[in-house]
Amino acid sequence: MEPRFACTACGKCCHGLLPLTLTDAVAHAVRFPLALVWTVVRSNAKSYDLATRLGTSVRLPNRKTVAVLIQPTAYLPNHFPCPALQPDNLCGIHADKPSRCRTMPFYPYREEKDQADLLVPRKGWECDVSAEAPVVYRNHAILDRKDFDRERAELLEQAPVMRTYADYVLKYMPWIVNDLAKMAAAPAGGKLVTSLSSFLTATRRTDARELAAAQAPLMQAMAERTRTDPALADFHRNYAGWAKEMERLAQRG
Amino acid sequence: MTSSACPCCSGLSFETCCGPILAGAPSATAEALMRSRYTAFVRHDLDHVERTHAPEIRDDFNRAEAERVADECDWQRLDVLRATEEGDEGTVEFLIHFRRDGQDMRHHERASFRRVDGQWLYSAGEVNPKGEPRRVVKVGRNEPCPCGSGKKFKACCGR
Ligand code: SF4
Ligand code: SF4
Ligand SMILES: [Zn+2]
Ligand SMILES: [Zn+2]
Repeated sequence: MEPRFACTACGKCCHGLLPLTLTDAVAHAVRFPLALVWTVVRSNAKSYDLATRLGTSVRLPNRKTVAVLIQPTAYLPNHFPCPALQPDNLCGIHADKPSRCRTMPFYPYREEKDQADLLVPRKGWECDVSAEAPVVYRNHAILDRKDFDRERAELLEQAPVMRTYADYVLKYMPWIVNDLAKMAAAPAGGKLVTSLSSFLTATRRTDARELAAAQAPLMQAMAERTRTDPALADFHRNYAGWAKEMERLAQRG
Repeated sequence: MTSSACPCCSGLSFETCCGPILAGAPSATAEALMRSRYTAFVRHDLDHVERTHAPEIRDDFNRAEAERVADECDWQRLDVLRATEEGDEGTVEFLIHFRRDGQDMRHHERASFRRVDGQWLYSAGEVNPKGEPRRVVKVGRNEPCPCGSGKKFKACCGR
């Protein structure tokens, strides 16, 4: 049976963390509150080799080496809709939505031959996978691969920048290695979040001030929206702290 | 003029301790510079912190984050555990006690300093030099105080 897939535009996948390419993150900095999300890929994972090319390799205190992906991410709690999602569940920026949204449901952080399970809708998603929907994946190959290839190419291109950032963080926030080790040991993995401001500092971006000016009001608004829910305390703390950092970065010459 | 105790816990007054260094006078020792950098955080004078970074790490300094940390932390105490100097190289190992988000934390670092044209500059820091598991740890109220006084934390730096 060949996997079939069509988007019914239910909008369910347009919630929570949205990993972006660096290009998309910069292009949409006025829209998405940004953070860097770190994910550990263990050496026995199918996507390990690819992850070392897209991300970086880190030696843990127990001498094991893992691959670490660092994804620029629209940083939103799981049940928060994407700021571009309209009330009719359609994308408000369809014509220039991020690569990640175009490539859905495929995921270029994995090998092309290892995508089949991504075509099974997650709980609550209303993707059409019936006989009515078109075949999109055949013999472990993506039939219309334009978006997948584009996103993969952007990820490969940005990899040196992400490695520069990883080196910076491991030098100046060395305790993060322990968090990565913990994530590597946990069966469910885990995510670690670092700030856009440390990324801007590490990569010496000349547009840091503009990006910060775009981010400051978003972080402020998100801090407000997450203020009262104890379940979102971590999000709130990050937003509030980053709002200050972004304001200060924006003011600096 | 009234003299106030220096935030760096030297026991001296601010005017005779970190005050002049924050105002731009060169520090006599690497330890004095370290103390003044702590005092700069307490007093939200991040300019001093920024200008006392060695050139090779100046661009790595995240001023925005440092300003926020200075705002959010309730700085309680600096313990200089060990300070050594050899010619123009200095090392200072220290513990900073602070509260953040209602929790008692400490920061343990062995920092390297270098004297350039008579000015001590911060050039590198090794966090948790003795291999402690985390840079910043919560301290239990009844645990021995990490400053090494032998007292319980709540009776010492945790007051
Ligand atoms: S940008 Fe559009 S497609 Fe992408 S998550 Fe947001 S609403 Fe959905
Ligand atoms: S969950 Fe499936 S059907 Fe709904 S918007 Fe996302 S891809 Fe489309
Ligand atoms: Zn002092
Ligand atoms: Zn003490």
